[in-house]
Amino acid sequence: MTLQEAPTIELTGVSRRLPSGGRMLTFVDRVDLTVGRGESLAVLGPSGSGKSTLLALMAGLDRPDEGEVRIDGEEIQRLSEDRLARLRRDKIGFVFQSFQLLSNLTARENVLLPLELVRSRDAGGRADELLAAVGLGERGHHYPSQLSGGEQQRVALARAFGPRPPILLADEPTGNLDSATGARVLDLLSELRRAEGTTLVVVTHDPAVAARADRRVHLLDGRVERIESGAAAAAAEGG
Amino acid sequence: MSPRLYARSLWREMRGARGKMLFFTLCLAVGVAAVVSVAGLSAALDAGIRGEARQLLAADLAVSGRRPLPADLDDRLAALGADARVDVVEMVTVVAAPPAADGTPGPSLLVEVKAVGEAVGEASGGYPFYGELNLEPPRRLGELLDETTVVAAPALLTRLGLGVGDRLRVGGEDFTVAGRVLAEPDDVGVGFTLGPRLFLSRAGLERAALIQRGSRVEYRALVRMPEDTPAAVLADGVEELRGALTPGWRVESWREAQPALRQGVARVDRFLALVALLSLLAGGIGVAQTVRAWLAGRLDAIAVLKCIGWTPREVTTLFVGQTALLGLAGSLVGIAAGIAVQLAIPALFPDLVPRRLIDPFQPLAMLRGLVLGLGVALLFSLPPLATVRRVPPARVLRRDAQPLPLARWAYAATGLALVGGLVAMAALQARSLPLGLGFAAGVAVATLLLAAMARVLVAGVGRLPALAVMTPRRGRRGGRGRVWWRHGLSALARPGAGTLAAVVALGLGTLVVLAMALVQRHLTDELAADLPDDAPSAFLADVQPDQWEEVQRVLAEGGAEDVRSVPVVMARVAALDGETADDLAEERGVGGPRSDDPDADDGTRRWALTREQRLTYLDELPRGNEIVAGALWSDPEVAEVSVEEEFARELGVGLGSTIDFDVQGVPLRVVVTSLRRVDWGTFGINFFLVVEPGVLEAAPQQRLATVRLPRGGEQAMQDALTARFPNVVMIQIREILEKIVGILERISLAIRLLGGFTVLAGLAILAGAVAAAAAQRGREVALLKTLGFTRFQVAAAFAVEYAAVGLVAGAIGAVGGGLLAWLVVSGEMEIGWRWYPAAFAAALFGMALLATAAGLAASWRALARRPVEVLRRV
Repeated sequence: MTLQEAPTIELTGVSRRLPSGGRMLTFVDRVDLTVGRGESLAVLGPSGSGKSTLLALMAGLDRPDEGEVRIDGEEIQRLSEDRLARLRRDKIGFVFQSFQLLSNLTARENVLLPLELVRSRDAGGRADELLAAVGLGERGHHYPSQLSGGEQQRVALARAFGPRPPILLADEPTGNLDSATGARVLDLLSELRRAEGTTLVVVTHDPAVAARADRRVHLLDGRVERIESGAAAAAAEGG
Repeated sequence: MSPRLYARSLWREMRGARGKMLFFTLCLAVGVAAVVSVAGLSAALDAGIRGEARQLLAADLAVSGRRPLPADLDDRLAALGADARVDVVEMVTVVAAPPAADGTPGPSLLVEVKAVGEAVGEASGGYPFYGELNLEPPRRLGELLDETTVVAAPALLTRLGLGVGDRLRVGGEDFTVAGRVLAEPDDVGVGFTLGPRLFLSRAGLERAALIQRGSRVEYRALVRMPEDTPAAVLADGVEELRGALTPGWRVESWREAQPALRQGVARVDRFLALVALLSLLAGGIGVAQTVRAWLAGRLDAIAVLKCIGWTPREVTTLFVGQTALLGLAGSLVGIAAGIAVQLAIPALFPDLVPRRLIDPFQPLAMLRGLVLGLGVALLFSLPPLATVRRVPPARVLRRDAQPLPLARWAYAATGLALVGGLVAMAALQARSLPLGLGFAAGVAVATLLLAAMARVLVAGVGRLPALAVMTPRRGRRGGRGRVWWRHGLSALARPGAGTLAAVVALGLGTLVVLAMALVQRHLTDELAADLPDDAPSAFLADVQPDQWEEVQRVLAEGGAEDVRSVPVVMARVAALDGETADDLAEERGVGGPRSDDPDADDGTRRWALTREQRLTYLDELPRGNEIVAGALWSDPEVAEVSVEEEFARELGVGLGSTIDFDVQGVPLRVVVTSLRRVDWGTFGINFFLVVEPGVLEAAPQQRLATVRLPRGGEQAMQDALTARFPNVVMIQIREILEKIVGILERISLAIRLLGGFTVLAGLAILAGAVAAAAAQRGREVALLKTLGFTRFQVAAAFAVEYAAVGLVAGAIGAVGGGLLAWLVVSGEMEIGWRWYPAAFAAALFGMALLATAAGLAASWRALARRPVEVLRRV
């Protein structure tokens, strides 16, 4: 695959230690990993294996104690908080397990927020288009508290894809949803991703989620245990 | 970020938290309302007191001396901005009834003559500028007086057997009595008066040719200043005049004219400054706590904003902008409320301030409220807003993500801005930089102390043995009790518990409220003590020693009580420590001050030296006298004198100084062996100079007495005394005293009102601050209930936690508040310190109770709801 020859996310010897219960624990331990442009990668592992920490490092939400993190070739661990914020604004979209919609904003305003931030020319049109795409065209004026969990996550998807980020990071996107709702959200995610050619890294417990990815990284105690790729993903994507 | 997006985000952020916005606005509004209404009321009160106190001098300021007033006085007064002047000449002379038909001379009497000149200046009604000259017939003095008429006190007419229309011989010329003077506003010579009053015109005075070489004449210029002259300008003017005039002139303003009032007014000024400062601080504490609680609820949102690409700077700007907007709203509401309070006060307390004196729409006061309100909002929000920068975006993934480090310069800048801003605002409010500095320093020290104690508390709680069992053990009473007790205590040491902030806020709040309450109590008690039940109703002067026994009998027959008398010996200072008074006077007139004391200006010190002194001799000091240095009658070797401390400063003497007096021709040398402080508010007879017994007994002397007469019996007593002792002068002072008492009572009411308002506002703000923080804890309540805590146990655990915070804060706040009150009361206001144990106990336990009640009240909704309702909301 030519795309994988030009990696968009590149981790080299990355470690992260954090204080826990009064001592330092290694959450990510010398991880080397590359994600190619347009690729989808699932990160799997038991609780505490370092999945979320790894995701935070890829997004510049956290800084490694050792090693390098590159986004589009740019070393990000030394960027200031302001530069990191701009990097996220321009390149990264997020989807979270707990949705993380802003409760004081309507669904449409939540989708508008990142669009306005990048000064998108037709922010309103794009927001409406995305809300329609996730099947919430009529619910834009509702506040998050007036929406169900699945609806909230669909709004979060619309928000994440709004500014057309080249990278989407997802943390247990179906973790708080029942399987039917989760499947609907995953379908939407795949659709939008395919339409935009977005690189996806998804942290999950859910085999159904993992099955849709091009590759699956298994973490254990902060280390890469094994990497799978191929058929399952192809089958899922194809189906 | 574009301004449009910024404005839109600001609007969305505001929309989301109406309740909290409202509380923030209210907190600030209460503080600003206090500032604005205190400013307005104090101005009105000042005007009110000024109006009445000025009556006692009949002018804003007076210049007097023993020579004709200097020609350049008009220029100097014009430079001060005076707008009217009237000259008065006072002297003592003998007048007589016309001879009888058979040629025998009519009875004669020593009188005090007052000749009033034409007033100069715009729109002046002439003498008196303030107060009322009560004449009979009820006409203006100028209309009754001409070159040939006089107006006389009833006592004068009674004693000479004359009435209105009769003739009276003054200085060999005949005058017609045109009327009687019943009351004079500025007749507060509560001391030594030689005879009843006689008013003449200046032309009449010249016709009578009373002023001869060597006559003892006092020339006095009464001066009126424009209505809106601030007290400070007046005080500066007095100082300037004193400095500019040649020796021998005495300058006094209405503020200094009456000691009891003077003290009262000065104390009220300080009290009002304190109220304004503390109300501001109380508002600030409320603001800080609200912003803290509100941001605590916005941490997730902040993390999301940062996650989707808002830079920390943009997020901070958003919240600073929001705080500023709320500050603006709070200030405007506060200003409106302040105006409403000012409008309501005359209706609720009609005696306090007349409505015409209240001018609630003062643009400057409103602007000050706005600036202070905005300043307080931004300043006190700084520390909580700094946390916005520290919120880690990784919080979107892990709630326990570590906060971002804040650069050292950012901490330093925040601290500097806080201290600098506090100094600036305190200085603006108190209108004094040193006071602002002192206040800011005090707040800083109290904050550090509170923070240190909070740390000690947290560390102490952290050392408690770890909780063995967190879930309640059902069915075992002992175990059940321990769970909530220990859970409540350990909650203090939990990360993110906010114990530090709560202790600091509540502690400062306690400090403010207690200091306020204590100062107010001291002040009102002191003012009440200033109105003794046994205040005299009349003074008797000129009683000859051999008449005293008979006078006492007459007094007793008339029902007089509390007769107190002292001998009075007139004397002049001949020399101090061997240097003659003339030399000293010259030295003080030309050279610098003899001592380094900056308090005693040259004019006063010259006057102290050259005027005639009244000495007395006493075995024991009267009430209200306190020895501050040396000991009374302690040296058997020398003749001793006890000197009032301020007078000693003016005179330039200290312990061990020798004073040579000229007692009507006889030299007398005395040594200063004690200095006294005198409480002039007792209205008793007090002397600057008290000589030990056994020295002055043989000197020519008179007696001065104070008596309390039955109400309404004054005139009868005056007639009885006059009939038997024509030389004895009785001065009725009840009316003057009652006037003063009335003013003091009004001051006292105002203080109770303002103090009470500030205390209540402070308590409301504190309760709100606790509630704002407690309302954040719905999730914790739900979790505890899920774990099997009963509602009682959850409530009890919270109660333990809040009570502990309240107790620690109350204890330190009480110490701080007591200290502040003590500084203000005994240092600034010079009132004797008293302990009010009840107030301290109330501060300590009241704060615990208030914190507990407010905390529980705010948790009530969460307690009542089913846990699942709270937990479901992710």
